[in-house]
Amino acid sequence: MAYGWMGKILQVDLSTGKISTRDSLPLAREYVGGRALAARLAWEEIPRRCDAFDPENRIIIATGPLTGTLAPTTGRTVMTSLSPRTYPRAWYTHSTLGGWFGPALKYAGYDAVIISGRAAAPVYLDICDGEVRLMDAGDLWGLGARSAQLQLRARLGEAAQVLAIGPAGENRVRFATVQHAEENAAGHSGFGAVWGAKNLKAIAVRGSGGVRVADPDALLREVLQAGVYRATPCYSAIQGEAELTRRRPVCSQACTFNCLVNSYSRSDEGRLQPAVCIGPIWCEEGSMELTRYSGGGVEVPAGRNFPRDVHLHALCNDLGLDLWFRLVMQPWLIRCRELGVHRIRGFPIDPEDGGWFEGFMHELAERRGLGALFADDLRRAMDDLEGELPAELIRLGRELEFDFGFPAHREGRFWDEEPLPFWVISAMMHVSEGRDPTIGAHQSSLLIADLLLADRELALRQFRVLSQKVWGYPDGLEPTFEHKAPVAIWSQHQHLLLDSLPLCDFAFPQLVRPIGGVEEWRALEDISGDLDIDLRLLAAVTGIAWTREALTRTAERAATLERTLLARAGRQRSMEEALAPHFKLPCRADGTAIDEAGFARLLDEYYDARGWDRERGWPTPALLRRLGLEELAPELEALRNP
Amino acid sequence: MSAKQHPRVHVRSDLCRDCQACLLSCSLYHEGECSPGLARLRVRKDMARYEFTISICRQCRRPKCLEACPVGAMRLDERGVVLIDDGLCTHCGECAAACPFGAIFQHEASGRILKCDLCAGRAEGPLCTALCPVGALTLAPHGGEG
Repeated sequence: MAYGWMGKILQVDLSTGKISTRDSLPLAREYVGGRALAARLAWEEIPRRCDAFDPENRIIIATGPLTGTLAPTTGRTVMTSLSPRTYPRAWYTHSTLGGWFGPALKYAGYDAVIISGRAAAPVYLDICDGEVRLMDAGDLWGLGARSAQLQLRARLGEAAQVLAIGPAGENRVRFATVQHAEENAAGHSGFGAVWGAKNLKAIAVRGSGGVRVADPDALLREVLQAGVYRATPCYSAIQGEAELTRRRPVCSQACTFNCLVNSYSRSDEGRLQPAVCIGPIWCEEGSMELTRYSGGGVEVPAGRNFPRDVHLHALCNDLGLDLWFRLVMQPWLIRCRELGVHRIRGFPIDPEDGGWFEGFMHELAERRGLGALFADDLRRAMDDLEGELPAELIRLGRELEFDFGFPAHREGRFWDEEPLPFWVISAMMHVSEGRDPTIGAHQSSLLIADLLLADRELALRQFRVLSQKVWGYPDGLEPTFEHKAPVAIWSQHQHLLLDSLPLCDFAFPQLVRPIGGVEEWRALEDISGDLDIDLRLLAAVTGIAWTREALTRTAERAATLERTLLARAGRQRSMEEALAPHFKLPCRADGTAIDEAGFARLLDEYYDARGWDRERGWPTPALLRRLGLEELAPELEALRNP
Repeated sequence: MSAKQHPRVHVRSDLCRDCQACLLSCSLYHEGECSPGLARLRVRKDMARYEFTISICRQCRRPKCLEACPVGAMRLDERGVVLIDDGLCTHCGECAAACPFGAIFQHEASGRILKCDLCAGRAEGPLCTALCPVGALTLAPHGGEG
């Protein structure tokens, strides 16, 4: 058996009930694991003409060589499939989730699982080491995701780690999640609905094995390095002591950090429960007010928190709805009321009333009443309601999910503050990826925008040193529109590798070193951190000494596979240029914006830097040759000349 | 640490947040692989209540496990820690049955007996206490129980 990898991929055909395995090592060594490995598997497995809900669509769940080891934050897992959420049509994308499932999958002996087909009746997959069975899930169908997990743990033992969908997934809500533990979810990409379409309620895994480590001493040495792994994200430099020392939960196995996006809350019954990432926004009084935005003729009202938000937050997870839906739908519904729209299709709307909102969540998950309209997500509902509602509301709904149907995030307008140049870097990622990309690029570029907001002159001085050191030129983070493609691509490659090794994007890469407060930050000229931690962890676990160049090439190959899968679904420049109007809205932090011509120049710069053609934004034959991916050429050629 | 101080791992299960760094470092140090099933301690999660229970040897002064071993495979070292001689152990499980704290474990697949030895041979002390980020596991002198 190899170090790091388990050596097997589990294949389950729900239509025939056939369960088999294949050797993972040749591909795993080439693509490392996780998202990069999944891209390769998807290219082989998912047919060219396929929709998200077709039986031929695949659900790929992949771990990496570090999953299940002591390497910090490596309890993560990636899930990929054709997404029912992407607008205007389904294409290949990914979600990642933390927790304890991926490690258990490896302890059972598998690096990845590929699920195809559609079961005749609801089933769950029970994996116990080498024993894998499809089981009747008739009694679980209709249960919430948490209840289903509790039932299966009661049945199979508390060592079982479970992924499960709630009613939203069963009813193919396009933003339905696959849930795990308290707060972990493959959330954004709507894969819960793909599970629902396959009649797959849950996967439970129990594993008695372990992950072999090539150099245990080296791994222990890395993990014990004080001051490296205890660090909170880079913006810890500007956080107060109270925030840094507050007691917080972890969301994944092997995470020893005090993560600034996590917190605890108390349930109605007084039970301690973790709220991670978006969770605290649901639960902390006043945080929904941050949705307020005004500019360019777009008015987003403040959202509202409710006294029973902790209960609603748990309910959202149990129903299996993506928590992000509230950040776009609640302000949109409030705007409806402000413009005098009190009913939609005869259904009353009262989004500032907690009781109404709770009922709306049930309706969404069950596709009843108003929920039947919005279960296809806000963006699709706007197409449905065009002409029935004031044009301002239709435009607002489209802006709130401008990015191919994903809730706007870290693009400098709605919700987060990314001043120039960070929203330009973000825009390049938005135009080129299959999903809202910035959610996985926190630490690789976007969070350091907070340093710029805290002290502009100081941050810009430090950014010049950082840019020179990391990207080899000084103005990568200068507040201009030029020379941002290398930063965006670097960030995307980092993100791809974090999803493949895996590591958490809130802790890695260490672009900025751990800084112990404002005074220390002010005294620094060079804020750059240790960017080779991933190489050392990978070498310690697998025994293979990857170079930075080799790992970057792996990321670039995976990115090219993902881009080709997007091309297959018709994604191309014309669709990406259509995002331009969103970036004409003034940035909420500094009022900056870009016009259509400027946006087209950003695309040119980005496509050129990638080696994609300017006409469609697809990989060129020269790029495919350079990356040894000539096998993609015939399909791209056929797509160019249908 | 000298025998007089008689160290042990002090447990605060209520502080645990399930990162499992203790389990993973334990099996990594002793077995060269990361496997919760091969760790010399256990963390159990009650999902319904979101509560965790950590079980680990208390390094008893009068160890019942030692008395129960029928083949003499256990001995006390100079620190006051009971060690298992894997060569002599017959995997009978008498020690685990005798432990009043349920802190000796039998590995499912191999039948091997697993018990905390405070990372014998590691001068800096046990890894679990070094890595626990929330103080659920700390190295403490013996408090007298057991």
